Amino acid sequence: MFRRVLIANRGEIAQRVIRACRELGIETVAVYSAADADALYLRQADQTICIGPAASSKSYLDIPSIIAAAEVADADAIHPGYGFLSENDHFAEVCKSCKIHFIGPEPATIAMVGDKVQAREIAKKAGVPVVPGSDGKVEDEQRATALAQKIGYPIMIKAAAGGGGRGMRVARNEPSLIAGFHAARAEAEAAFGDGTVYFEKFIENPRHIEVQILADKFGTVLHLGERDCSVQRRHQKLIEESPSPSLTPELRAEICAAAVRVAHAANYTNAGTVEFLLGRDGKYYFIEVNARIQVEHTVTELVTGLDLVQQQILIAAGEKLAFGQDDVRFQGHALECRINAEDPARDFQPSPGKIDLFVPPGGPGVRLDSHCYSGYRIPSNYDSMIGKLLVHRARRDLSIRTMLRALDEFVIEGPKTTIPLHRDILSHSDFRSGDHDTGFVERYFGAHPAIPVRETR
Amino acid sequence: MDLKIVQKLINLMERGGVHELELEDQKDGLKLRLKRGAESAPAAPVVQLMHGAGPMNMGGMAPAAAAGPAAAPAAAAPAVPQGKPITSPMVGTFYRSSSPEAEPFVAVGTKISVDQTLCIIEAMKVMNEIRAEFAGEIVQVLVENGEPVEFGQPLFLVKPH
Repeated sequence: MFRRVLIANRGEIAQRVIRACRELGIETVAVYSAADADALYLRQADQTICIGPAASSKSYLDIPSIIAAAEVADADAIHPGYGFLSENDHFAEVCKSCKIHFIGPEPATIAMVGDKVQAREIAKKAGVPVVPGSDGKVEDEQRATALAQKIGYPIMIKAAAGGGGRGMRVARNEPSLIAGFHAARAEAEAAFGDGTVYFEKFIENPRHIEVQILADKFGTVLHLGERDCSVQRRHQKLIEESPSPSLTPELRAEICAAAVRVAHAANYTNAGTVEFLLGRDGKYYFIEVNARIQVEHTVTELVTGLDLVQQQILIAAGEKLAFGQDDVRFQGHALECRINAEDPARDFQPSPGKIDLFVPPGGPGVRLDSHCYSGYRIPSNYDSMIGKLLVHRARRDLSIRTMLRALDEFVIEGPKTTIPLHRDILSHSDFRSGDHDTGFVERYFGAHPAIPVRETR
Repeated sequence: MDLKIVQKLINLMERGGVHELELEDQKDGLKLRLKRGAESAPAAPVVQLMHGAGPMNMGGMAPAAAAGPAAAPAAAAPAVPQGKPITSPMVGTFYRSSSPEAEPFVAVGTKISVDQTLCIIEAMKVMNEIRAEFAGEIVQVLVENGEPVEFGQPLFLVKPH
């Protein structure tokens, strides 16, 4: 087992990893930037090292500084958290060459699943459906119409150089495809200097379903059920829950088995997430593998009773999974709201600054993972997350009720937060009935029409 | 003396509620004095070591305490040398000379000019020369050779010209 773990991250996830280590009896080294010097979670670490100035490129993303800190502190493992260097295969490789255990998958696995084309091939090899598409660029009008016939309408035209929703358009029939094809090429050429476009089937009003995976170094891969993350805004998840209200037991078993097959095919180790789009017709499609612990891992922790960060550490230290698939039991329903320092009334503008008053909610069924407190100053250099508010109840309707109660109790004075938005979403009939999809938030709570949601964090 | 031993001592002091501890090691010819709960900063342990331990925070305490100059050995209010600190631009290991045999780049009293090499900080096997950003005279060297330093930690006190 590891003696000392360095946490190469900040905020609530740094605190989460410190908590897991302390329960396992492992010493912790917290690294921090000058902007985080006052954060209270640093006091829970056995050792703290300032690694650089506020800019993440010179601190939390600076590989030499983090490795130097690990060497100075004599840490035998590094937990990367999420974001920052968590899915950087080069960093995982550097750790390896410095004889420091990276708590995550092997560098080659990170690289492989991080490449969209390769990940798609792995899924196909594992017999898992992928979104049908052109598998490469579409050169001319003739090819375009023939391909569209084969894939079936509606078709999404995407710029190869685009991303994050940019350079996309939808065609529902041949005339709009031909017009869209030429327009998209010209647009992409102008915007990205590269007019290459490709096609994909457009999955209308999909749901975002992801399956949590745990895989040890002895070839055992288990799934810990799914999370439904359909409540998103511009690819940012706002609410996650498990189990998903839109899966039948049969479909759940099928998707979870598909995720396990993908993990096997990728020789995956440690914790990971396999993401899918679920169409209204019940068809599901693989989108990507996230080779890290995710923000919303907590939802799975509540319904399974497992500590996922502890499991990550145990797996990285070379331990066998101490339980089998049949030992994983799912209990009740868990719901998570991401509380961000953003102003929903002003297009979700970040609202950093001092928290004058912070009164966390509590009581039965409530969990709050947050590094904030009264007097804490949210730095403007990083993401706007204040914390993750979770509830765990016997049924979905009860979870929603407890969450509304907890949101009412939660007092954050100073920055604007997403709490009022969560209240509105939880009260909306589409969410209550579980009939919402990834376009739900923008449809009802934003001025902008829904963009098909694909790449999420 | 190994930093790990110092850290263990601090942890033991924490748990046992011990506020002051003096330790003499004849073999290494070193005297260590640990004091916890100084009036000015009640939560931070004050580490005083005749040679060895830099001011990195090793006690799981407020990181802000790491920035203060901690090398002054006397317990009673010492005559604090006046000067402008030169801080470390990175985390790593501090070296005063280019090789174990070589003379230190600078010492107390050395007149320094802009761009003059003051020390080396090793990070990931790379030796980074730290150069003076202003001219002056070294008043105090705040870190011992071979000790770890963190970003922003004062390395030298310099009286600017």
